[in-house]
Amino acid sequence: MSVKVAYVVDEFKDNVATILSNDIKKGMTIPVTFDGKEHSVTVNSDIPYGHKVAIRPIKQGETIWKYGLSIGRALCDIEVGDHVHVHNIEPMRGRGDLHSEKKGCAF
Amino acid sequence: MTKWYGFRRPDGQVGCRNYTLILSATIYANSTVERVANTIYGAIPITHHLGRCQTKSDLKMTFDVLCGLAKNPNVGGVVIIDHFREELCNIDDMAHEISKTGKLIETVNIRDAGGVLNATAEATRKAMYITRELSTYKREEADISELLFGLNCGTSDTTSGIASNPALGFCSDRIIREGGRSILAEFPELMGAEPWLKEKAVNEEVARKIDEQISAYEQRIFATGEDIRGSQPTGDNIAGGLSTIEEKSLGGAKKSGSAPIQDVIGYAEVPGKKPGVYMMYTPGHGAESITGIAAAGSQVLVFSTGGGHTIAHPLMPTIKITGNINSWERMNDTVDLDLSGILAGKLTLEEAGDLIYDEVVATLNGKLTKAEILLERTGFAIHRIGISI
Repeated sequence: MSVKVAYVVDEFKDNVATILSNDIKKGMTIPVTFDGKEHSVTVNSDIPYGHKVAIRPIKQGETIWKYGLSIGRALCDIEVGDHVHVHNIEPMRGRGDLHSEKKGCAF
Repeated sequence: MTKWYGFRRPDGQVGCRNYTLILSATIYANSTVERVANTIYGAIPITHHLGRCQTKSDLKMTFDVLCGLAKNPNVGGVVIIDHFREELCNIDDMAHEISKTGKLIETVNIRDAGGVLNATAEATRKAMYITRELSTYKREEADISELLFGLNCGTSDTTSGIASNPALGFCSDRIIREGGRSILAEFPELMGAEPWLKEKAVNEEVARKIDEQISAYEQRIFATGEDIRGSQPTGDNIAGGLSTIEEKSLGGAKKSGSAPIQDVIGYAEVPGKKPGVYMMYTPGHGAESITGIAAAGSQVLVFSTGGGHTIAHPLMPTIKITGNINSWERMNDTVDLDLSGILAGKLTLEEAGDLIYDEVVATLNGKLTKAEILLERTGFAIHRIGISI
């Protein structure tokens, strides 16, 4: 694996990349390789090391893809460059609460 | 083929350590066990809060775990201590079960000995003779095919799934190519990874069991009516960038590499003999999970951690690895192997897998983990399937 500031596991299916830098601040433009070429993604907030950034637009309710498989769904519309984490996506598995509590987007 | 050198037990299993185990049958023998172990060179105490007032199936699981730990080939001899008389978790039933290995066993009942002071003296004397005898045992040549290799991860972050776990998968594949077996556990942390795992099942029956057993754990979670976020993913997983249990699972499953999955087994159950991966039904709780693996007879376990971890089983050397440079810098007094070179572009996953493999073989041959040197024994806990009554 070559040095990357953002890493996409399944370059043709995933809609998020993992940040591999301690220095990603709001407004920075970073290179991300997917769909067979390098793209520029401008991040919309500070993103900590190991956290995810959206590399494709994701509508509320759509699946979040990583490793080419589902890691949950969007709680709200997510723009390219948005920090993707517990505030805007939710798991679909192991949810004993799903029918007992209303869920919503933090933003 | 790599050789290693271990202690061959009467039942043919080979251990990488030669411990005298001081084993508590019930909670009320714990202090006596601690006194004895504190007096005996190199002895390992196992104490716990169980052994009585449990539902039957839960008590049987506790019994299987305690006996399984004593049967682990890293243990050369055992002194079992109980306090009066319990169902199953008593010196007679436990000694009977453990004696199937042919290893040295002594027992002490606190009441029969005339109280804790006499019991301490009697058990200490017995442990002394066992330890002296074990000290004459020599390491003998063994094969990688005699290795039951434990896989686990914890305080995971997003580096786990893209660096240390897939590297561990390469190591596991290499061990299995040489005839060994691996155990993949932590079933709630495999929710969402079923499609990837089932592709590797040796047949339809095993694929069905993978679905069925992961689903069984999910049903137990559903029964609570609770949102598991915060528990799965844990607070430290979330701090490390993991957002959902599915994301954690897909990363966690990578530890098992590409080798065939031979079977799905119960908690602390001894797997079959065919080389390959065996999936053990355990919780994601690290100490409970690795204790199930140790009780199945695993000699060594590699624990992949993104955030850094202190976990170490008292009887099964627990080699900790990380792919996160920040965690290596903070936690390298309990993490053994730095794999941050993967994400720095300096190591391929396969090369990192070879580094893990070399560390595993060195540990099997007697190299101590950092946790062993520091007497960090945070990795023992018994999983429960019933209630205290």
